[in-house]
Amino acid sequence: MGDHLLEVTGLKMYFYTRDGVVKAVDGVSFVLDKGETLGVVGESGSGKSVTALTMMRLTPMPPGKVEGGDAKFKGRSLITMKEEEIRKIRGNEIAMIFQDPMTSLNPVYRIGRQIAEPLVIHKGMSKRDALKRAVELLRLVGIPNPEQRVRDYPHQFSGGMRQRAMIAMALACDPDVLIADEPTTALDVTIQAQIIELMQELQKRTGSAIIMITHDLGVVADMADRILVMYAGRPVEYGTTDEIFYKPQHPYTWGLMDSIPTHSLVEKSELCPIKGQPPSLINVPSGCAFHPRCPYCKQRCVDEVPEYRIIEGTHGTACHFAGDPDFARACAVEVGV
Amino acid sequence: MNENDRKSDRVEDHVIEDSHSGLPAMPPVTDGIAHVHDEQASRTLWGDAWRRLRKNRLALAALVWLLIILVAAVTADLWVARAFGDPTTIDSTTAAANRLMGPTLSHPLGTDDLGRDILGRLIYGSRASLTVGVAAVSISVIIGLLLGALSGFYGGLTEAFIMRITDVFLAFPYILFCVLILAMLPPGARGIGPVILSIGLLGWPSFARLFRSSVLSVKQNDYVDAGRAVGASDSRLMFRHIMPNAIAPIIVYATMSIGGTILTEAALSFLGLGVQPPQISWGRMINDGRSYLISNPGLVFWPGFAIILTVLAFTLLGDGLRDALDVKMKD
Repeated sequence: MGDHLLEVTGLKMYFYTRDGVVKAVDGVSFVLDKGETLGVVGESGSGKSVTALTMMRLTPMPPGKVEGGDAKFKGRSLITMKEEEIRKIRGNEIAMIFQDPMTSLNPVYRIGRQIAEPLVIHKGMSKRDALKRAVELLRLVGIPNPEQRVRDYPHQFSGGMRQRAMIAMALACDPDVLIADEPTTALDVTIQAQIIELMQELQKRTGSAIIMITHDLGVVADMADRILVMYAGRPVEYGTTDEIFYKPQHPYTWGLMDSIPTHSLVEKSELCPIKGQPPSLINVPSGCAFHPRCPYCKQRCVDEVPEYRIIEGTHGTACHFAGDPDFARACAVEVGV
Repeated sequence: MNENDRKSDRVEDHVIEDSHSGLPAMPPVTDGIAHVHDEQASRTLWGDAWRRLRKNRLALAALVWLLIILVAAVTADLWVARAFGDPTTIDSTTAAANRLMGPTLSHPLGTDDLGRDILGRLIYGSRASLTVGVAAVSISVIIGLLLGALSGFYGGLTEAFIMRITDVFLAFPYILFCVLILAMLPPGARGIGPVILSIGLLGWPSFARLFRSSVLSVKQNDYVDAGRAVGASDSRLMFRHIMPNAIAPIIVYATMSIGGTILTEAALSFLGLGVQPPQISWGRMINDGRSYLISNPGLVFWPGFAIILTVLAFTLLGDGLRDALDVKMKD
């Protein structure tokens, strides 16, 4: 059991605010093995980022509090270990790429020095050696003229280049796990594709596992081995990429699929958004959190919280009607899945 | 105009250069090529600030004035006595003859009631004013930075405790507190040192508050989280990531405070609680000259003028620094 690289079981992170308890992460579980890619998908506020931050212990506590569950990295609990120990893991064994490269680099330091920072902190490298390594890393992530570019300041880099620099910084210590928190959201579409390609390419070389957090199923489609779909802080569906794409069980996953724009030259089809707003995490709807927006909602969905259950192998979902042939048949007509 | 032309030239150079550069490990970034890339030296935050400051005429004039009095104060021993006669001592043989002279070639601003050259005394007086200003503000800044950083960074009880102490200190009228402390000292113990200490030890609360709020806002930035995510310790985050980004308002306020402190020193010396004779300070000179206010107004006017000009210079320089250090004012 304990031989997974990263194993998260029933993780709960609640924030105690003046307005009430925000259940930002409410019982999330997944495993990640060496070299694997996990896609975590969901709308804004579904708890994707907080899950990652909780594992890194980067959420402000208080107001945040881990209310249950555990995250084990190489068999050691990230949640209970001492601050000094987790500091040795951050940036060294588990590295993180943030959403907005425009604000994630410190404006007063040269790019090279920032990429070199984890090396100085964790590997005890001298500044000069770390800077040399920073040049190599910049070259690795495809920045032209890295020898000159290390001396640049962040404002001299464009968005795509900054995200490349962030990736270089994250990869500096050759981490086992790379957490990418919506790494392409703030970038142009053309740059997005480049960044994703770059991450895949680098994963092949370094063999690090990636947790790819995104709101776009399309981004993880050809990258992830497994996908975790989250809604209102809870896991909604979890399985291999094939299972999620070819045998999706949860109406929310269906909704996400339908909202991916398709290229079509022949036939124009209307884009199908999921109606309504994601719920407030303070007043999560009763029963299934998705029921107010679910087109197939039944009385049972309002009354009863659906249990997360395994459908087949590792493929699981939290829907009362998943696997129910009558339900699937009734809905298949409408959705066309 | 010229600069713009040069820049666009450089962009084109760069496109060509980039496409010829050696094969990178990855497909090269196409979005970076259109970016202006300064080859000689990357522009730094401080380099940028200096460029902006240079465009501000008033701030530049203030800086020049401050440099002039600084150089004069530092080199005074070398030339003032030779040019105007030693203004620090009373020459009993000539004192009566030179007494209260109007402006002449050898005494450009005239002499005081003891036959000493006023310009020479102003130059020596600037030493006390500048020393008190810089030293007292330095003490305040150091205490203020430390306490402001602690309360801004850690928050919670630490912050509540430090900020309440700050409030207590701010509740006292600052100059009265100085007067109180200095008045309690025996007259022999008065002088420049106690003035520096009393102003410095009472001036920190506003710096602590300012730096705390600055740290609070910088702490929100993503790069602080990013720094934490690469495993930086608290002290590293504070000193490497937050401090350089939060220090600008402190620099501005400190510059302006030096002016205010010079004024306070002048006031304390005027009241006889500050610099003691034979040491010279501008406030002391006004005090000494006040009995001749009607007959020889120059005795009061010139030191007063020096105070006003210097305080104004520090304020203008602070103003200019504020604009120059504002990153949002990128040109």
